[in-house]
Amino acid sequence: MSAAAEPAREAGGRAFVRFLATSRFFLLVIIVILVTVFGAAKPAFFNGPFVIAPLLTSISIYTVVGLSQMVVPPVGHMNLAVGQMASFGAIFMGMSYQLWHAPLILGLLIGLVAGAAIGTLTGWLIARTGVNSFIVTLAMSFALIGLVPTMYSWLSTSAAFTVKPAGLDVIGQASFANLCIGSTCGTNAVPLIVLPVIVTMLLIGYLYSRTRFGRELLVTGSNIHAAELSGIPTGRRIIFVHALSGALAALAGFLLAASIGSFTPTIGGEFMLQSFVGPILGGTLLAGGYVSVTGTLLGITLMLLIRKGLELFGLGIETLNVLLGLILLIALSADRIRNIRRRRKVVAPVVSEDAVAEEVSA
Amino acid sequence: MKRSLRGFVKSQNLTLAIIILVGAVLLGVQSGGGFLSPISRTTFFTFLAVPILIGLAQMITLAVGQLNLAVGSIGGFAACFAGVAISSFGAPPWVGALSTLVVGALVGLLNGWLIVVTRINGFIVTLATMTIFAGLQYALVSTRTISSTQWPEIYALGKSAVLGIPTIFWIALIVAGLVAFYFTHMIGGRRLLASGDNDHAALLAGISNDRSVVVAHTLSGLLCGVAAFVTLASLSGVNQSIGGDWLLPSFAAPIIGGVSLTGGSVAILGTVFAATIVRLVDSARAIFQLDPAWVNFVVGAVVLGSVALGRARQVRDARRAGAARAKATPAAATPAAVALGPEASTGATLTVESATTRGTK
Repeated sequence: MSAAAEPAREAGGRAFVRFLATSRFFLLVIIVILVTVFGAAKPAFFNGPFVIAPLLTSISIYTVVGLSQMVVPPVGHMNLAVGQMASFGAIFMGMSYQLWHAPLILGLLIGLVAGAAIGTLTGWLIARTGVNSFIVTLAMSFALIGLVPTMYSWLSTSAAFTVKPAGLDVIGQASFANLCIGSTCGTNAVPLIVLPVIVTMLLIGYLYSRTRFGRELLVTGSNIHAAELSGIPTGRRIIFVHALSGALAALAGFLLAASIGSFTPTIGGEFMLQSFVGPILGGTLLAGGYVSVTGTLLGITLMLLIRKGLELFGLGIETLNVLLGLILLIALSADRIRNIRRRRKVVAPVVSEDAVAEEVSA
Repeated sequence: MKRSLRGFVKSQNLTLAIIILVGAVLLGVQSGGGFLSPISRTTFFTFLAVPILIGLAQMITLAVGQLNLAVGSIGGFAACFAGVAISSFGAPPWVGALSTLVVGALVGLLNGWLIVVTRINGFIVTLATMTIFAGLQYALVSTRTISSTQWPEIYALGKSAVLGIPTIFWIALIVAGLVAFYFTHMIGGRRLLASGDNDHAALLAGISNDRSVVVAHTLSGLLCGVAAFVTLASLSGVNQSIGGDWLLPSFAAPIIGGVSLTGGSVAILGTVFAATIVRLVDSARAIFQLDPAWVNFVVGAVVLGSVALGRARQVRDARRAGAARAKATPAAATPAAVALGPEASTGATLTVESATTRGTK
């Protein structure tokens, strides 16, 4: 055992212990328990193509929805228009496929740009006017709630864009069973839609944990005054974050459209609550300064697992709503209590900076 | 709050009043007088009561710097609770209908209490309670509609009129008057405004900000309860869709009416006028047979515009007021800052940035 390896292992051990104390570990435990319980009670739960694959598809889509929300709290803001930005991006994708006969990637890019553009406008309004981000994004969502269905009824005959470019079905409906190397094919329990989502998660995680730019975003959220004094153009960072949120929302809209097979005005209608539940359960601080990509994934997974469980046991959607609301309140209260306890333990003011630096994780 | 004629002319209210008049005349001409007929007038005022009440409900939370996303689900839950209490548990119609007020106030109290105890952002708390009570509303009535024939007395009230104007519209106006009186002449209302305007100063003046939050949310819930009562009286039945579309109008009325979004101000007349304008847009949609989404778009765009413009006006006014104060007492400002020590001076530098930082809190 060399001397150099010792501290490294110790550090690894400490990181593991710290992981055990996070909400992510807690989520993971609950998820494992739920899967075991569901599997034991209803063996049909482990049916690959009919239960697991749809579940993974919705986890993929809603993880992007969660990320679209998660990127905003780091600067201390929120985006109530996630769903509407998704529908706004999706209508541009639908239009480019149906009216302009664009190929898959081009249409996707047009939609992402549209989402980023509406996000930029939102961010600009917030940074420029200084009005609370709730109010601006809420007002934006109101405007889009009206605009998008109006656009659909003007531009399409059946209030939906149904033209599918080549490859849309592959992303939305194919599984690894369609992916063969020689004669060995993948499992049909894992849909291909997980691939773009994993890439997105890695990119966002890299942005916030490894780049200077991401760190600047986190500093903007934890103390905007300090950020400004350290020379960070906070206004521009705020606009960027909202643009990123808009683009991710548009991506979520695209994935949802790919999985249901058409671009309709209902895309994004259910995104708002979901977008908050994932990041909040995953431990993203609403006050800014801390994000967790894996936490968001786990939060979303838990939420959709509960929904699936309720379906399996024949309980209605209203139970899910009540449960989600309660979970949200309990998770946040627990977070609050933990924060207060930690603050009481360590009164030294330095700790907050350390905590931010340490807790940033992908 | 002086309601002088000059203040009225300078305020947004005159603009709103002119828009209402022009809009009503245009609609009257466009519909060949049909819009001004007694029947259409009754419908117009009957369905104006709920927007006014929920606008005021939202305005009260905005006054303390909070917001209430649960407006619709409090109202919907209260209305369905009353419906079930009357139809399934045999509660006397009046008792059942007035229970909406109690239910509304209790849910509002719960909101305020949760916000104060957990210190979670009020927006998230009301988002959570919105989801919970929408779920409970569905659990109460599921897919059925409870017909208003179960509460004929209340429904008759909804059909009745005083001086040619529906009674329930008078109820909304009386509530608006009470809210105005509360905020202008009662200590409780002034305290809410003080907390909303500057919580630190309010705390130093001996006002409990926590109590202000709880009181504001309770009153907001109570007004949602009144809106639920009006719904019971005016609609032919209650079901799980009640309250589902209240969110946008509840924000549109106070925001267009000129309520400051950073807290500390109310505009009752403005809220009533703005609710009327939204109602006019809705009537125009009915007359021109447009897509309902179109109304949402117009209202949403106007709200977005008012948010941006309102902030710009606030900044301009603050600058003017600052300039005027500097002119009146050129030397007074600096010694005060020095006398209060370093903390006060950092406070002064922070206020310069408050235009950008406030939105991020």
